[in-house]
Amino acid sequence: MRPLTDEETKIMFEKLSKYIGENIKLLVDRPDGSYCFRLHNDRVYYMSEKILKLATNISRDKLVSVGTCFGKFTKTIKFRLHITALDFLAPYAKFKVWVKPGAEQSFLYGNHVLKSGLGRITENTMQYQGVVVYSMTDVPLGFGVAAKSTQECRRVDPMSIVVFHQADVGEFIRNEDTLT
Amino acid sequence: MRRLYIGGLSHTVTQKDLKDRFGKFGEVEDVELRTRRDDEGVPYKTFGYININISDADLKKCLTVLNKSKWKGGTLQIETAKESFLHRLAEERQTAAEQRLPQTEDQRQKMLDSLSKAGVDNFTMKAAVPGTEVPGHKDWVVSKFGRVLPVLQLRSQKGSRARTLKYDPSKYSHNIRKLDRSTADQPTTDQPTPVTQLTWEVQGGDDDISKKRRGEFPPYEPPTRKKSRTDVVNSHAAEGRTRLKQTVDSVDGTEAHQFTNGYEPPTDHRLAQGKGPRLTDSDMDSDEEIRRMARAHNPSHAALRQEEEDDKLEVVGLDYLEKSSRARQQQRGSAGDEEENDYDSADTDELFASRKPPPPAQERLTLPTAEQLAGNDTDKKRKTKKKGKAGEEEDNPADSEKHVSSRKPSSAQQSVDYDEPGSQNQRKKIKVLPVVKPPSSESDSDDDEDDVDDDDDDDDDEEEEELESADYSSDSDYEAMFSNVTRLELSLADLQRLAEESQQSCKTTAPSVLGASPEQETNLPSRPPGRPAPKKGTTPEEILAALMEEDSSEDEQKKTKKSKGAGSAPLPAFQGTRALDDRAQTDECPRRRKVEEEEEKEGGRGGQVKKQKLHSEAPQLNQRATGGKTNGQKPSATQDTSSEEEEEAETVPSSSSDDEEEERMEASRADVRAKAAATASSSSSSSSAEDEQEVISSEAAVKAAPHSESSSSEEEEEEEEDEEEEGEEEAPRRVALGAAEEEERQRKANARRLAAVKQRQKEAEEHKKLIQGALANLDAPTAGAGKHIVFGSDDEGEDGVGNDADKQQATSEVTTSKKTLFQDSQSEDEATGDEAAVNENATTQGKVHLNPSGPQLFGGSENEEDADEEEDGSRFDIRPQFEGKAGQKLMELQSRFGTDQRFRMDSRFLEEEEDKEEESEKKKSVTEEEEALDEERKKNLSILQSVLGSSQQTCSSKTAGRAKTFRDVSALHYDPSKEEHAAFETKSDETKKESKAARRKKREEAQKLPEVSKEIYYDVSGDLKAVFGQTKKDDVAGEDEKTNWDQEEEREDDEEEGGKEERPTLQSSLLFADPGAEKEEASGFKFSFFGDDTETGSGETEYKVESIQAPKVSWQQDLRFHDSSSDEEEEEQEDEEEQSSIAALTTEEETPSKTDLFFFYPEDSRLTEGPRLFCRSSHLEEQREQWEERRSELRQEYRKKHKDARRKLKSSQKS
Repeated sequence: MRPLTDEETKIMFEKLSKYIGENIKLLVDRPDGSYCFRLHNDRVYYMSEKILKLATNISRDKLVSVGTCFGKFTKTIKFRLHITALDFLAPYAKFKVWVKPGAEQSFLYGNHVLKSGLGRITENTMQYQGVVVYSMTDVPLGFGVAAKSTQECRRVDPMSIVVFHQADVGEFIRNEDTLT
Repeated sequence: MRRLYIGGLSHTVTQKDLKDRFGKFGEVEDVELRTRRDDEGVPYKTFGYININISDADLKKCLTVLNKSKWKGGTLQIETAKESFLHRLAEERQTAAEQRLPQTEDQRQKMLDSLSKAGVDNFTMKAAVPGTEVPGHKDWVVSKFGRVLPVLQLRSQKGSRARTLKYDPSKYSHNIRKLDRSTADQPTTDQPTPVTQLTWEVQGGDDDISKKRRGEFPPYEPPTRKKSRTDVVNSHAAEGRTRLKQTVDSVDGTEAHQFTNGYEPPTDHRLAQGKGPRLTDSDMDSDEEIRRMARAHNPSHAALRQEEEDDKLEVVGLDYLEKSSRARQQQRGSAGDEEENDYDSADTDELFASRKPPPPAQERLTLPTAEQLAGNDTDKKRKTKKKGKAGEEEDNPADSEKHVSSRKPSSAQQSVDYDEPGSQNQRKKIKVLPVVKPPSSESDSDDDEDDVDDDDDDDDDEEEEELESADYSSDSDYEAMFSNVTRLELSLADLQRLAEESQQSCKTTAPSVLGASPEQETNLPSRPPGRPAPKKGTTPEEILAALMEEDSSEDEQKKTKKSKGAGSAPLPAFQGTRALDDRAQTDECPRRRKVEEEEEKEGGRGGQVKKQKLHSEAPQLNQRATGGKTNGQKPSATQDTSSEEEEEAETVPSSSSDDEEEERMEASRADVRAKAAATASSSSSSSSAEDEQEVISSEAAVKAAPHSESSSSEEEEEEEEDEEEEGEEEAPRRVALGAAEEEERQRKANARRLAAVKQRQKEAEEHKKLIQGALANLDAPTAGAGKHIVFGSDDEGEDGVGNDADKQQATSEVTTSKKTLFQDSQSEDEATGDEAAVNENATTQGKVHLNPSGPQLFGGSENEEDADEEEDGSRFDIRPQFEGKAGQKLMELQSRFGTDQRFRMDSRFLEEEEDKEEESEKKKSVTEEEEALDEERKKNLSILQSVLGSSQQTCSSKTAGRAKTFRDVSALHYDPSKEEHAAFETKSDETKKESKAARRKKREEAQKLPEVSKEIYYDVSGDLKAVFGQTKKDDVAGEDEKTNWDQEEEREDDEEEGGKEERPTLQSSLLFADPGAEKEEASGFKFSFFGDDTETGSGETEYKVESIQAPKVSWQQDLRFHDSSSDEEEEEQEDEEEQSSIAALTTEEETPSKTDLFFFYPEDSRLTEGPRLFCRSSHLEEQREQWEERRSELRQEYRKKHKDARRKLKSSQKS
């Protein structure tokens, strides 16, 4: 477990900023305590200072997970967000998409969100903007990338994809073994 | 006939216009106008289609004349259009039908001919054994009765093995049955089915899935339905079916259904509706269809409509809050939304629950003869009565009497009675429903009638309709409920009565009528008839129970009022409710009396049980009311606040004391409990009359189970109330109660309350003492155990004694350590006042001392007697000995041993030095870590900055910030209290003032300018000599020494000023002091408007401004030329200076002009001197003379020069 290098931090922040923009600042500089990002097994964990201290007691090869896993670096040094980061993305998300109850399941099974399942969308969402997907009852379900801008979404036919699926809470069950 | 497209129409064009326009060229049959609108509904394009009977020549003419012509603000564009697809379709159909008919006829004829040749006459072959083939016809077989039938090659649908199936009718000849040809042929050949009938089987929202989603499952398996539905011909083919009869029945059913479908609008809409959504998506082409669509969208199908509405994409702003509260609000906000949500959540169970219950309610309404409905009926009538129909009042007593008499039988039996009709009606629900349903919506009733027709015919249909009607009924039910609720709101009495009656008949009635949710309804029957024991164990429940008790007691009072007839308020506190009661009772009192008599006859035991039941009902109702379903019914809301307070004052003591007693029972041992009970009883016995009652009740509580206690107390209350009521019964109805009386009552109540409070305080003190004594005895043995380890030191004890010596004397026998312990707990008992003292103790003692947790806890429980919130709060305060870091550590140590008294931790157990060392080490490490983290954080932030960098500054942050702060300007209201709104204030006054002040200032400055300049002038003149000297030195030393150019300039200016010193005019001072001052201010500034001199050209300023040489002819120049003190050495420089100064002049002359006066100022010397230069100073003759003199001179000079020149020329030529 080590702190992230500058490059890694940059890559990760770039990714995060697609979803929460400058709200990353709120993650880094928290008033309720000092929190930090740590890299372990190519995975980035977000944890409080306290937990960090506690984790020092555990040897590296035995340590499975600390704090909240935000995602992992791929072999090509790209950062991939995990669904576990949703708890931190959802409250700060700038752009949101709400799916209709009928389309919830489809999304939770790992499918893209179609226009027909799109219940509500934040205005001025740009294409390929990272969005957090909510159910109509405002339960965060996951996140993805807007395939169409808000304006396009109005026009487009009901079977076209409006949000590309990236992660959903269904993964907690589907990828139980790999999510740490 | 042609169809023409006409484009480029203006929006105002009507069909008639078009018709008239094109009528000249041919007969216009049909005009269609289309307007395309953009998102805002503003038409941007209008075009039309016309069907016109027109010859080619005319068409040509028409095109030439009208095409591209201007008409009503648009250029017409006419093109021939394709035929309307409807028209084409119709034509195609027609032709197809025409073609087919003869063909089939032909074939048939041929067939018949060939058959007849083979000896078949009218499809019968006489004397032929079944199974023989018809000669010449391979696939025709003779069947039973010599009938000739075709062998069918059926294509099998599923079977992969055999693709076709041969059906030989001769093998099934025994099942054959003659068919009615007309029905068989109807759908195929005879006439094309009208379009409306083509799709009759499409079940838009009522298909399987949606039905299941609604929680309605078909009783029969779907395949049969399909079979029966698909086609009549199919059922023909299945001749050999075993279930022949059934299918035939179903065929009949479907036929009937089909007919109705074909010709009745309500079902028609359903078909169209099935098509509806599809059609909306596609581009609609005919108005007719649109109209039909509109018709199809019946308002009753709310769900479907909502789905469609849902299709509209919702776009929300960036600051959209996605809290569930909002969603809930929305849900509550509109019933439609709610329904939608319910629908979409696909929680079938819930839906089922929410949908099912209404029909029973309806049923209840539908069965007016049922006895149980007396309550509802009376309720209804009461409503009407309130409206003013006094006539019906006569019925009411009778009704209620009947009702009362019907109370005798147990509710169980009645419920059975009630169930019976229900089960009977289960199948015929729908038939009943429309009868009772209020004729609110005609379409509904239409549908229902339809349903009734279909009811017996088709099971599936029935189910369907059931579902639909359930929808309707739920709607109407909802309305009915709502109306009920709003009316019930009027009086609590009604509510009470309702509860009373409903509990008698069926538990379900009351809540459902009151508009309760179905869950509650289902809950209610399961409730035990007896009063549910409200007081049990844990504290939250207790609180709840206390609340419920309050409510129930209120209800009790109210109820007894009513049941005992006259209904007088037992407590003056109830004014709000009583007022409500009065209204009701004025109407109902005669009946009530009867009721009361009845009840009295029934006798005490049964009545009591009943009342208990009522209690169990009443709190529930109240609870629900507080839940917010029927806000009008809230007793607490209707009560006046003052009365509520009083109520609290009276009820709280009882309930709280009860609670405490209970707690004590749980906490303390038996003997203690007994004592406590005794004290409680003794103390409360001295209180007011009511309290006495409660004392009895509390005694009962101690003795018996908690719920019995409450009931008994209620009984007693009843009794008491009865007494009061008797007193007041003769009095006229309390509508006439005067204000004076009320006041008096209030005063009385207040006095009583105060007395009670005092009493209570006394009691509390007594109580405390008693408990102290008891506890002291109780703790004696345990204190003995404390001898092993003596924790309390002497000085502590002394302090304690000093503090609370007087109280300790009661228990002086105990050891000092015990004393301290006890003192502590006691001081906490005293709570608020003594808290400060306790703290003082802690601080003065300095050392942390320990207390056994047992007594402490006890003290805490004792605190509850006072029922002070503050005390409650203090209970959770950290004990002084555990305060601070050391205290924390101590606590941790202590926690290892639990509450074991032998291992009480003291401050002595703290190892201070180690602590300090550790702490310091820790601190070091902590600080290091923190620093590292801080650094990391900073680094992260910097990276973040770089990552966001551009984007943040450009779009995200700004837009986000803006979006967050964005407010709808139109909806904005100026709020002076808000700071942000200060921006909206126009500071007109201030600016005005400022401007005025500024103007004044400027004016003053303009006038004072000389003064200001004087100062500077003096300053400058002060070192004038030095300046001069310096310049000289500078000049002498050469130009190597490069000073700042403006300084130099300044100096130069100074020099000039010096030069102009002789000039006494104000002007000069003004002109030259100003630039000087300006330069002083802007000494660091390297830009100058006026020409850079040779010195400035040295490269100190990149920015060069070439000065335009000021004309030397200016009228001021003469003076200066004379005045300038010019040495011969400096002459050149002087010249340049001159220039610059002139430039400065020209610029500086403008500066004062900026203030007020353009170019000039009052008493400008230039104005006086200037004209002189233009006016003749001397007379014309004199001038002429002068001129002539001069002229001669000039001429001479000229001649001379001329001569000279000639001479020179000559000489040069010579040479």
